[in-house]
Amino acid sequence: MTGSTTELRDLRHHASREPVISVRDLKVRYGERTVLDGVSLEIYRGETMVILGGSGSGKTTLLRHMEGLERPTEGSVAVKGVDLATVSSAKLTALRRSMGVSFQSAAMFNSMTVGDNVALPLLEHTTLAESTIRVMVRIKLQQVGLTHVEDLYPTQLSGGMRKRASLARALALDPEILFFDEPSAGLDPIIAAGLDSLILHLKSAYPITIVVVTHELTSAFLIADRMCMINEGRILAVGTVDEIRRNPDPRVRQFIRREADQPSEASSSYIMGA
Amino acid sequence: MMLLESVGRFSIRQAEYVGRLAIQFWYCLRFSVRASPFKGRGLRWQRTLLQMGDIGVRSLPVLCLVAGATGLIMALQAGAELRRFGAMEAIVTMVGTTMTRELGPLMAAIVVIGRSGSAISAEVATMAVTEELDALRAMALDPIDFVLVPKYLAMLVMLPCLTVMSVFSGILAGGVFAYFTLDLTLLAYLSRTAEILLMRDIVSGLVKAVIFGSIIVHVSCLEGFTVSGGPVGVGHSTTSAVVKSIFLVVLADLLCTTFFYFFWR
Repeated sequence: MTGSTTELRDLRHHASREPVISVRDLKVRYGERTVLDGVSLEIYRGETMVILGGSGSGKTTLLRHMEGLERPTEGSVAVKGVDLATVSSAKLTALRRSMGVSFQSAAMFNSMTVGDNVALPLLEHTTLAESTIRVMVRIKLQQVGLTHVEDLYPTQLSGGMRKRASLARALALDPEILFFDEPSAGLDPIIAAGLDSLILHLKSAYPITIVVVTHELTSAFLIADRMCMINEGRILAVGTVDEIRRNPDPRVRQFIRREADQPSEASSSYIMGA
Repeated sequence: MMLLESVGRFSIRQAEYVGRLAIQFWYCLRFSVRASPFKGRGLRWQRTLLQMGDIGVRSLPVLCLVAGATGLIMALQAGAELRRFGAMEAIVTMVGTTMTRELGPLMAAIVVIGRSGSAISAEVATMAVTEELDALRAMALDPIDFVLVPKYLAMLVMLPCLTVMSVFSGILAGGVFAYFTLDLTLLAYLSRTAEILLMRDIVSGLVKAVIFGSIIVHVSCLEGFTVSGGPVGVGHSTTSAVVKSIFLVVLADLLCTTFFYFFWR
């Protein structure tokens, strides 16, 4: 079982080296604060890339640039060969139809039912008949393991169900690229594991490129084809799961082993009361 | 030097604000065509109708009370002075013209700011904080198109309607006062009011309503779109939307009245 998964990963890894997303020397500053400091990253078609990093490392900012929610000011971000810094709004709209985004807070529209939430992209961007759309909504919700929730409002769902529903909405237009911001944030381990297996299922069922931002190590090692470790706005390491495991960089090792920061001499002597 | 700096910074910030409003307004106009009932699936048309109910119909009771009280207050205040000159008849003219030209639209705008302006900015700000606006963008839907346009079109239709009702309640309240003090029947009072009112008065009141409506929706939405700092920011943006809307509405009222005074006699 494990062997075949590894083989499949290698196959995906070697078969298509065509970059879908390429970030080159991206620098982002908010006022005095540098959030991203020269990030370069290529994500290839069909792979699952996990972006790992602690809080405030800049991983969500990087994701928002790839999603086209923020325009790069220094450096470049290209998705499917389209430069996001100079793209026209019409072209960006077209590009976004091939992307699905699942937000950290699920971001369901609270004024609409779950069914209407999932139906929205289909109603807006396709000319399908409404009865067809209703059927598709049911299928999409079933795909993420939800049934009989179409007529409920998002606030009536639990956190895990809301995340699943938002994934169903992101999948509505059958995206080529799926972005996932902190899939397991705020969920209990069992539901988080359920989401992981859902992502694994998506990987095996569709030729989809998945970009996941997370700080959950177990989930990251389970779903990733390749990983990228980011710290203080810089990329520390990029590579396959095994390459990251063997990475000699002390900060990478520290993160993977979940070690706390070593207290500096001054603070430790203070604690000791010396 | 410090003074100069702060004056400069203030001016830049205000200019930036006006610029943002202008850009938002332009995008809103461009998208407004899509809310036509004959376009697409009529989703925006449906949302516009819903908003109309929210902004218009539900504001009506409180607006009638406020405008009626205003009309009565004006009649009482004017009556106290006019009584001394034996010119009580002039109350009809005063209440009729002032309500139609000035206080009718202004009271409607203030009630709508309190009810809908605050609600709009709170709704949009909450959507911004909970990433719903980002979700719209990520779905290739423009928040201005999807959120602002239905509210704007609803306001453009409903605020003039509310203004008519507001003017009517004010004049009616004046009529009640006239009935008890002047021995003028309500019908006679109303027909005399109709005689004095010019088309100019009515049109200028409705033009104001359209301008006030635009200000309320755009200011409230902009405050919502530019919210920062989580749930606390939502409260802050709501307050700021109400304060800025009232200020800008009164300012616009002054400009309009000046314009009509000099250029349309």
